[in-house]
Amino acid sequence: MTTPVKTAGAARRLVRRVPQQRTADRGRAAPAGHAARHGRLTPWLFLAVALISEGVFTVFPFLNTIVLAFTDATRLEGGAFVGLDNFSRMIHDDRFWTALQNSALYMVIVVPCMVFLPLLLAMLVHTKLPGAGFFRTAYYVPVVSSTVAVGIMWSWMLDSQGLVNQTLKALGVITEPVPFLTERWLLMGSAMFVTIWTGLGWYMVIYLAALTNVSKDLYDAAAMDGAGWWRRFVSVTVPGVRNTMVLIAALSSVAAFRVFTEIYVLSGNTAGPGGSAMTIIMLIQRVGTGLDAEVGYASALSLVVFVITIGLMIAVLRMQTRENEK
Amino acid sequence: MRYVRRLALATGVTASLVLTGCGVGGGGGDDDSKAQDAAKGKITGSITFQTWNLKAGFKGYFEDLVAAFEKKHPGTKVKWIDQPAEGYADKLSADAAGDTLPDVINLDRSTAAPLAKAKLLLNLDEADPGAGKDYLAGAWKSNDWKDAGGHYAYPWYLNTGPTLYNTGLFKKAGMDTKKLPTTYDEYFDQAMEMAKKSKKQYAMIGQLPGTDLMAKYGIKVMNDDQTKYVFNSPEGVAFVQKYVDLYKAGAIIPEALSQDYVNEGKNFQAGRLASIGGSSYTVQDLKKNAPSVYKNLAYRPQITNNAPGMYIQSVGVSAHTKNSPTAIAFARFVTNAENQMAFAKKADVFPSGRDGADAKYFHTDDGSDAAKVRVLSAEQLGKAVEYTWPGTSEDQKTNLREQLALAVTGKKPVKKALDDAVAFANKSARAEK
Repeated sequence: MTTPVKTAGAARRLVRRVPQQRTADRGRAAPAGHAARHGRLTPWLFLAVALISEGVFTVFPFLNTIVLAFTDATRLEGGAFVGLDNFSRMIHDDRFWTALQNSALYMVIVVPCMVFLPLLLAMLVHTKLPGAGFFRTAYYVPVVSSTVAVGIMWSWMLDSQGLVNQTLKALGVITEPVPFLTERWLLMGSAMFVTIWTGLGWYMVIYLAALTNVSKDLYDAAAMDGAGWWRRFVSVTVPGVRNTMVLIAALSSVAAFRVFTEIYVLSGNTAGPGGSAMTIIMLIQRVGTGLDAEVGYASALSLVVFVITIGLMIAVLRMQTRENEK
Repeated sequence: MRYVRRLALATGVTASLVLTGCGVGGGGGDDDSKAQDAAKGKITGSITFQTWNLKAGFKGYFEDLVAAFEKKHPGTKVKWIDQPAEGYADKLSADAAGDTLPDVINLDRSTAAPLAKAKLLLNLDEADPGAGKDYLAGAWKSNDWKDAGGHYAYPWYLNTGPTLYNTGLFKKAGMDTKKLPTTYDEYFDQAMEMAKKSKKQYAMIGQLPGTDLMAKYGIKVMNDDQTKYVFNSPEGVAFVQKYVDLYKAGAIIPEALSQDYVNEGKNFQAGRLASIGGSSYTVQDLKKNAPSVYKNLAYRPQITNNAPGMYIQSVGVSAHTKNSPTAIAFARFVTNAENQMAFAKKADVFPSGRDGADAKYFHTDDGSDAAKVRVLSAEQLGKAVEYTWPGTSEDQKTNLREQLALAVTGKKPVKKALDDAVAFANKSARAEK
C-alpha cells in the first residue's frame, strides 16, 4: 500500500511526463490524415446526443411552428396555406388583446418585485445571526414545491369560503367574501402574489451568491465615510449585484410574460370569469389543444409570443451591454 | 461579436422556451374504403381497448370482461388501458395526431364527433351493417353523424338522474323541505329565498346554464334543420336575465362563473350547494365521500319543461386498426346486452341494449337510496333525450360559459353576450360540417 505522500508524488511525475509522451505517440503512430480526420470528428461525436436532442425537440418543432402559422391546420386534419390570415384574425380577436394586456400587465408588476424583493430578502438572511439558516431554508421551500400544488393550496385559501375570507370575516373586516378568484383584477393580483411568493426564494439564492462577491471592504469604507444603511445599499450593494439584477430581470420578464399555471389553477382550470384573466400562453393552450384544436392559429400566436420574448431579451441584453461599456 | 453571440444564444433559448411543443402537425385520416371488409376475417391477434376513468371503480369487471373475450376467442389478446377523466380529449387528440389511437375506444359525443369527421373511426354502417337493431333506437340515433355520413360508435351505457337536494341547507335557512322545487319557477323562487335567508352563506345554483339546460327550460337552441344556433332569441335573453338577477341576489355561488360540473359536484359535497343534477352513481359517491351531505339527501324528478336529459357513452373502433375483425368483435362484445346489463348493475348506470333498461332490476326498489334513484331514473329514461347539437364541443361550452359570466356580472349586456355565444357556436357548427 502506498502512502498518500508517495501517491501524490507519483501523480505529479505522471502529469509532467504525459504531454511529452502524447507528442511522441502522435508523431510515431497514426498517419497524419487519419489524425486530422479523427480530430475533426471527435467534437461532433461528443456533441451528437445533444445536437440530435436539440434538433428533434427544439429545432424541428420551431420550424414546424413557423410553417403551421401560415396554414389552417387543425389537430386532426392537415391544413392548407392561408398566407397571413391567422395574423389578420389575431388582430380582430378580442381574446388575443385581452391575453396580451394581461400578460404584459403581469410582467410590468411582477418583474420589479422579482428584482428588488429577493435582494432585500437576501440582505436580511446574508448575516451570521442565529436562525438565519432557518429563514434561508424557509424562503426556499416554495421553490421546491410544485407550482400546481402551490396553486391548489392558495385556491383553497382564497376561495369565497376559504381561510382568508373566513378570517377577515371573523375579524369583522368584511361582511361579504372578497372575490379573490372570481373577479378579474383580484384574480390577476392573487396569481401575481403566488408567482412572487414562489419565486422569491429562487432569486434570493442567486442574490446571495452575488452578495458574497461584494467586498466587505467597500461596506467598511462607506460606513467610515458616514454612509447609512440606505446609502450603503444604493452605492455599494446595488452596483455590486447589478449584473445579477439584469439577469433576474431577463429571466423573470420572460417567465412572467409566459405565465400560465398560477392563473389556470387559481381559476379552476379556466381563465377566470368570462375568460377575462386569460394570458397569452393560456390562449395558445385553449386554441391549440383538444380534438378541435386550431393548430395553425395556435402556431401563429406562438410565433407572436416568440417575437415578443426575443424583443424582451434583446432589450435586457442591450441594457447590460451599455452598463458594461460604461 | 460578444453581443451577437449572446443574441444568438438568447434566440435559441427563447425559441426552445416558447415554441417547443407548440408545433403539432395535423394527423389526417384516410377514407375508410376498406371499412366494408373490416368485420370479415378471423378473430385473432392483439388489440388495445381504452376506457375513460373506469379503472378505479371497475377494475375487476374489465379484467373479467377481457378474460371472457379471450376465452371465447382463443388466440386473441386484449390490452386494456384506462385514462383519467381530465384531459381525455387531449389524450385522444395526441393519439390521433400520432396515428396511435387504440383499436377500441370509449367515447362520448363530443369526443367521437371530431374523430368521425376526420374519418379516424370506422363507419359502422359499412363495417358492421345491421348493428343498430341491437341497441335502443334513441341511443343508436344519437351516434348518427349525418355530416360524417353514418354511425361511428356503438352505444354503450346511458345515464340520467333526478335533481338531488341537500335538505340540511334548506333546514338551516328555515325553508320547508317538504316543498322541494319540482318546476323551474319554483326552483328559481326558492333559490332567491335561500340566498336571502342564508345571507349568501350557501346557495342553490352552482353552475351557469349550458345549451342542454336552455333546451330543458324550453329555449329553442337550434333551428329545425339544425343548421344554425338560435338561442339568442328574446326567450333566451329572458332566461339568462333570470340568472343575472339570481347572481346579484347571491343565489349562485361566485365560483359558478368559471367552474364546470366537476367543481359543482365538489361544492355540493362540501355542503355549499343545496342542489345538483345527479344519478344513482352520485348517490353512492356521496354516501362514501360526503356522509354528512348524504344524511340529508333528498331527490325529485329531474326539473325540466321538456324531456329529461341523458348522457351516452359509446365505443368506437379506430379506422386505422390493424386488426378490425377482432376490434369489431370486441366492441360488440363489450356492448352486447348481457355485458351491458352486468356493467349497468355494477356502475349504477343504464344499458343501451334493446329493452335493457326495461329489465326488472331497474324498476325494483329494495329500499336503498341508490335503488330509489335508479327506479326514478329508469322511469324518466323512456322520455329522456341527449341534448347535444352539431358543433357541440368543449370549446363551445367554455365560450358560452364565459359569455354568460360576462352577462351575469354586468360586464356585457345579456343580448350581446348571447349574440357572441351564438356566433361562436355557429362557427363551430360550420367547421364540423
